[in-house]
Amino acid sequence: MSTDASNEVRLAAESAASRTSRTTSSVTGPPAGEENGRRKGLSERNRPLWMLIPGGTLMLIIIVVPLILGIYMSTLNLDQYTLRRWISSPFIGVENFVEAVTSSPLLHAVWLSVSYSLLAMVVTLPLGIAAAVATQNAFKGRAVVRSIFLIPYVLPSFVVATVWRTMFQPDGIVDRGLGLVGIHTGLWLNGPQTFWTLVLVQIWASWPFIYLLALSGLQSVDHEVHEASALDGALWWNKLRYVIFPYLKGPLSLAFLIGMLHHINNFTLPYVLFGVPAPSDVEVLPILTYVTSFQSFRFGLSAAMAFISLVLIAIPLFVYLRAVKLDDAESPGAKK
Amino acid sequence: MRFRSSTGLATIVTAAALALTACGSGSGTTGGSTSSDGKVDGTGKTLNVLTGVLPQYPEQQKQWQADIAAKFKAQTGADVKFETFASANDELTRIQTSVVSGQGPDIYGLGTTFTPTAYATKAFVTLSDDDWKKVGGKDRFNQAALGISGPDKDHQAGIPFVSRPFVMAYNKDLLAAAGIDKPATSWDELAAQAKKMTKDGVYGIATGYKDNFDPWKFIWAMAVQAGNPLVDGNKLKMDDPTVKKAYQTYFGWLTNDKVVDPASVGWSNSNAVAAFASGKAGYLMMTTSSSVPTLSSSAVAGKFAYALMPTTPPGESSPKGDGGNAASILSGDNLVVADYSKQKDLAFAYIKLITSKDEQLNYQKTFGDLPANAEALASLTDPVLKPIADAAAKSKATPFTGAWGDIQLGLLNVTVQSIPDLSKGSIDESALETRIKDAQTKGQASLDRASKG
Repeated sequence: MSTDASNEVRLAAESAASRTSRTTSSVTGPPAGEENGRRKGLSERNRPLWMLIPGGTLMLIIIVVPLILGIYMSTLNLDQYTLRRWISSPFIGVENFVEAVTSSPLLHAVWLSVSYSLLAMVVTLPLGIAAAVATQNAFKGRAVVRSIFLIPYVLPSFVVATVWRTMFQPDGIVDRGLGLVGIHTGLWLNGPQTFWTLVLVQIWASWPFIYLLALSGLQSVDHEVHEASALDGALWWNKLRYVIFPYLKGPLSLAFLIGMLHHINNFTLPYVLFGVPAPSDVEVLPILTYVTSFQSFRFGLSAAMAFISLVLIAIPLFVYLRAVKLDDAESPGAKK
Repeated sequence: MRFRSSTGLATIVTAAALALTACGSGSGTTGGSTSSDGKVDGTGKTLNVLTGVLPQYPEQQKQWQADIAAKFKAQTGADVKFETFASANDELTRIQTSVVSGQGPDIYGLGTTFTPTAYATKAFVTLSDDDWKKVGGKDRFNQAALGISGPDKDHQAGIPFVSRPFVMAYNKDLLAAAGIDKPATSWDELAAQAKKMTKDGVYGIATGYKDNFDPWKFIWAMAVQAGNPLVDGNKLKMDDPTVKKAYQTYFGWLTNDKVVDPASVGWSNSNAVAAFASGKAGYLMMTTSSSVPTLSSSAVAGKFAYALMPTTPPGESSPKGDGGNAASILSGDNLVVADYSKQKDLAFAYIKLITSKDEQLNYQKTFGDLPANAEALASLTDPVLKPIADAAAKSKATPFTGAWGDIQLGLLNVTVQSIPDLSKGSIDESALETRIKDAQTKGQASLDRASKG
């Protein structure tokens, strides 16, 4: 175990372990002086690094290998005519990338994906936080309310989309309901409004995720903190704003990140709601990639599209990770 | 947690499947030996067959597979192992993996419109005269059903298994009440008849504008009947006036003639079937024999009949060219034998068995699909099925090109993007032209690739 790669893994694991020992030490009181000074605990020497092997192997097989194959595919003129000899199909360099950017709806799809995900996130954040705060203190029936809140989250995407599609039919239950109060909207599943349909259903399906993570953040607030702020005479808003919310920063940043990735990657929802070909207002990235691959059979082009979208997502993701140091999370709410 | 760490890399997942399968160990078996009397001895061998799942008949399908496997075993001594796929997409993935790895099912069941795409991969056997003899001879099949087996008569890979031609159903009572003595044979007449029947919550025509397939079939049919086969050599003719006329006629039922339920902008075919089954429509367009069980146990039981869809194009008095034979797209299932199969003779023997007259009639009774076997088709005497059998003989193949997938998508996309206009009650002509032009450009690009492929 002396290769560069294993060294890197070891270093990362060491710093993680030292953090763990620091947090434990803050809870259990000062450890023996010598150990504290060297910052290398007993547990580090016998770290079972071999346990990384199963996970690492799986990562390699199901993520790294396909990723490399996908990148290779994106440089090939791979379609139904060349599929049979695909490894040796014509190498065309960056042509697929050029075509994807210049003469396919890729950029439009990127814009749609990002804006829809952001909108859904912006709405779900306050919803989730409010729900978490509301169910933080015990009251009669809290368990039931908490379970009900999780329903949208545990339902499979396919089911959610099918039910909403049925409700959004022309002259369906949504139209009739709104008609009762005198509101007459246009089509939900075709035309410009589809974008808002997608945002709406996404909000419905994903706010419990924010709620869950906000709840976990709230649970980590020590009892003493509540007591202290009560003694200082903080009113509820001030208490929320200055005492509780800092605790939520970590979990909610994580929720934001995961939520955005999930929305941008969401294929099932738009596919089941709108079908293929999708109305041009909801031709989001996964749908476009799917159509290019499995309707037009342009596997190379679609691999290029997928790769571009991977890069597009990876850049802000990387910047964000560096900025909030999520990879260095200690305790939620800790100042960084 | 519903979180995928990598981005939407559907294709890459496919690539993974390809790679993994390619790494898998091969278990090649040698082909069945053929004795001088044409009998194939497959003792100890297993034939792998991949077909579509029949969601309406899960039990019956299992039973049929068990029965046919027993018969095949008695004939050749070989076992048959069935695998099913749920969607065309599943199937494509299977074909991709098998094509690349050179192993997988020996026989595939394919939808007719998917056959050109499969042919383009060159992964399936183009049958020689000798091969055709092994499946019982070309003559045993309904000749129209061979129309989409290959690019021309000498290069055919698809062996017809069943036909599923499209017809229209009509409500005999509603037609009689409106003083109509026989169903329309031209699209203009259809609209006129439909107008007579539209009143009191009843509409002349039931059709689903949001169906994933129906719209392009209407446009194709009307264009072909007007003498435009859409694909002419390497040229796509979607910007032809006949195509625009077809869209205008199809959309016009809603916007001008007002003979369809306005809610049908959100309908798929099954919604249209339901509307017709409740007695609320005179005509049900674009349906197949699979609607028989539903309609026979509905409010219109005993009151409905099938008829060929019109073959006279809008604004004309008679079909042009070969248009009279375009009552339906050529629809059904084909069987193809994998090129990599090491037991092709055994595969042909199996196909011979399931396309025999008796087996085809048996299949029709259980599942409703019409026989591709000519003799079996001719022997159908049920009057309800008669027009459908006629349609099977008057079906015309969609253009045989690997670009068809894109062309079909383009045709359908024009409808999808027009639905908001449609629901407002009028189609803007210039917007329609723009959409058709867009489909033309993309389809032509795809055809260009096909000609190079």
